[in-house]
Amino acid sequence: MTIFLGNLFLLLCLIFSISQFFTSQKKSRFRFIAINVNGLLICSFLSFALLIYSYVISDFSVLNVFENSHTTKPLLYKISGVWGNHEGSLLLWILVLTIFNYFIFKLYNDNNSNFITKTLQVQGLITAGFLLFTILTSNPFQRTVSEQSNGMGFNPILQDPALAIHPPLLYIGYVGFSAAFSMSVATLFLNGDQKIPWYNYMKPFVLTAWTFLTAGIALGSIWAYYELGWGGWWFWDPVENASFMPWLIGTALLHSLIVVEKRKSLMAWVLLLAILAFLLSVIGTFLVRSGILTSVHTFALDPSRGVYILIFTALLGGYSLILFGKKSKNYFDSNYFALFSKEGSILINNVLMIVVCATVFLGTIYPLIIEAFINKKISVGEPYFNSTTIPIIIPAILVMGVGPILAWNKDKKGKIFKKILPSILLTIIMTTLIFSFYQSYNFIGMIGIILGFWIISNNIILLIKKNRNYSKGMLIAHLGIGLLILGITGSSNWQEEKITRLKVNKSTQINEYNIIFKEINEIKGPNYVAIEGNFMVYDKNKNYITNLKPENRYYPITKTFTTEASIHTNLSRDLYLVLGEGNLTDGWVVKVYHNPLVIWIWIGALIIFTGGIVSTSNNLRKIKI
Amino acid sequence: MKNNILILPSIIFFLILSIFLYLLVIDRNPSEIPSNLLNRNAPIFEAKSLFKNEKFISANEFKGEIILVNFFATWCKPCRDEHVYIQRFSDEKDLKIIGINYKDNNKKTIKWLKDLGNPYENVLIDKNGKIAIDWGVYGIPETFIINSNGIIKYRNVGPITNKIYKKINLIINKNE
Repeated sequence: MTIFLGNLFLLLCLIFSISQFFTSQKKSRFRFIAINVNGLLICSFLSFALLIYSYVISDFSVLNVFENSHTTKPLLYKISGVWGNHEGSLLLWILVLTIFNYFIFKLYNDNNSNFITKTLQVQGLITAGFLLFTILTSNPFQRTVSEQSNGMGFNPILQDPALAIHPPLLYIGYVGFSAAFSMSVATLFLNGDQKIPWYNYMKPFVLTAWTFLTAGIALGSIWAYYELGWGGWWFWDPVENASFMPWLIGTALLHSLIVVEKRKSLMAWVLLLAILAFLLSVIGTFLVRSGILTSVHTFALDPSRGVYILIFTALLGGYSLILFGKKSKNYFDSNYFALFSKEGSILINNVLMIVVCATVFLGTIYPLIIEAFINKKISVGEPYFNSTTIPIIIPAILVMGVGPILAWNKDKKGKIFKKILPSILLTIIMTTLIFSFYQSYNFIGMIGIILGFWIISNNIILLIKKNRNYSKGMLIAHLGIGLLILGITGSSNWQEEKITRLKVNKSTQINEYNIIFKEINEIKGPNYVAIEGNFMVYDKNKNYITNLKPENRYYPITKTFTTEASIHTNLSRDLYLVLGEGNLTDGWVVKVYHNPLVIWIWIGALIIFTGGIVSTSNNLRKIKI
Repeated sequence: MKNNILILPSIIFFLILSIFLYLLVIDRNPSEIPSNLLNRNAPIFEAKSLFKNEKFISANEFKGEIILVNFFATWCKPCRDEHVYIQRFSDEKDLKIIGINYKDNNKKTIKWLKDLGNPYENVLIDKNGKIAIDWGVYGIPETFIINSNGIIKYRNVGPITNKIYKKINLIINKNE
């Protein structure tokens, strides 16, 4: 029954989306469009709910449930297991797509009818493409071949609250860019038929997408940090890059949209960025799901999926980019941009973001290119990405500090200095303070800290002034970026690592801490067994700080081992302890990290998210949703 | 001039896609995961057999001839898809095929093999998946080729397709 209903809903979705594509060619068919949009939303919701239901009741006649779930799994992870696998995650992707579709439809009025119907037409096509992909190659509603009493279990490393909401946030990001994509194509296609402020419609979608993408990426990093036990939070893994690239383009797009709004400039550029942001999201999906690249995220490998996504991407990208090549000349302008102006700084940062994105893209696909041409397997890792992207990001951050203060059109150089003087002073004071405590000098680290404080002081001063000329959301988000920079700088430049073998009652030192290995116990969790180490931490004055209890878990159902790092966090540093292999006679391998300022990465990301939400709701008010 | 620049994004886009396409169609197999076991001795294990009474001891069996080891289960759809190729190996080639039945039910397996044909010379039971762990199995189906010295020469993760079938044939011929 579930299988039948699930397939029925999917099929209905496909019919509605194709019908949306055809009916939205004529605006007179408003009622038909309404039926399709609503039908699509309802059916995709029902199919998704049905899959969740099958997971909750552990209906193993559904192959997808059988392959990814187990009766002993906690309820939260039964539910998050729905999107923890390839097929289910596509269903979530489609649900988000239809929700955005609905919101685009809600914008419809007599003045913008052509624009909205054209946008809906493109959305219909995208939705139909993903539905076909799901139904043909990745159907979550398949019957298990023979009757099963219990499931295969779910990779325990994915059973984590951060990871439970990581994919939905990420998908809101990726799919949100589809709205910008469709609007861009619609604008190019209509070629200025109606004088529609398309950029005002595009902006809240881009903001939503960008905000949630930021949160999704941050949660992914948090998960990697806590769960993988490698002491770091970013590894330049292809999948991380796949989410970082649309984020970079999204950032450029977001800021250029402001220029379009205020100065009616950069229109063609924005149209191109809107196309690229979504294309990169889809290409990222292709790289991950086709198995063409191997990474920690590799889903079930199936070459036919790769071919399908490639064809789909070629169609989407080919159509939109050729359309751009043909029609975008009407959206060029010959406005002059002064270097010392708001739009000038945005333009500089745009270029820098694109360069970073291109660099990351090259690093990600370089191993593939090499393999294609000389058939040799290589991998591109952290050294490449760090040494190429950081020098481009540094000037971008400098500009980011000044940009918001500058006026539109042109600002006088003398006046600029006066404007930024308070924040320069504040930056100097804060940096001196930090370094008098932290006496650890390192060139890149110093630059990072100065830049972080530079951004923070600029935005704090503007926030305190309560100047109505500045968008509050922007200031908050920028403040978050400043904190994020502090965290990134601290944790990557001053990280200390110690790997040693410890017997019970022996101790090891890191930074100013003394860590004593007290005991090791066997414990039992709901669906795992584990050994748990007990470590006591003292500071240099022999004051007790905390107990760290790292675990090594074994999940019998999936036959997997995981390491659970134990972390003590405060505002200035994390103490991070991982238990390795070992035994009572030889002792255990212990990895200890002293990671300064890590918490500020998460705080920063949360503040950026808040800023994004504030901005989104302000922009929504403008178009009256 | 301006028009030419505007078409540039689409050209770059298609260039990149053609590299991807090339990688998808060439005889490149992303599931050929570099295995630590490659060119090493096959792991030693003992297992119960589904049809035979005597215990299977790998040290006695993995020598003197080429062996194909195939991890499969009745609940795994790709296993059903690749079964025809396993059958072809059994019909066309002079090699020993060992099936390792991963986390499965014996009755179902017997029926499954009756329905689809049994290409295996011996079917071993890996009820709790322990043998699979020793072999570093990534996901089933998975197939290994072991030469007459007991050394693993090839590993494929995922179902055998026509392309992989040909590749395995080449490897078998080379090791004969």
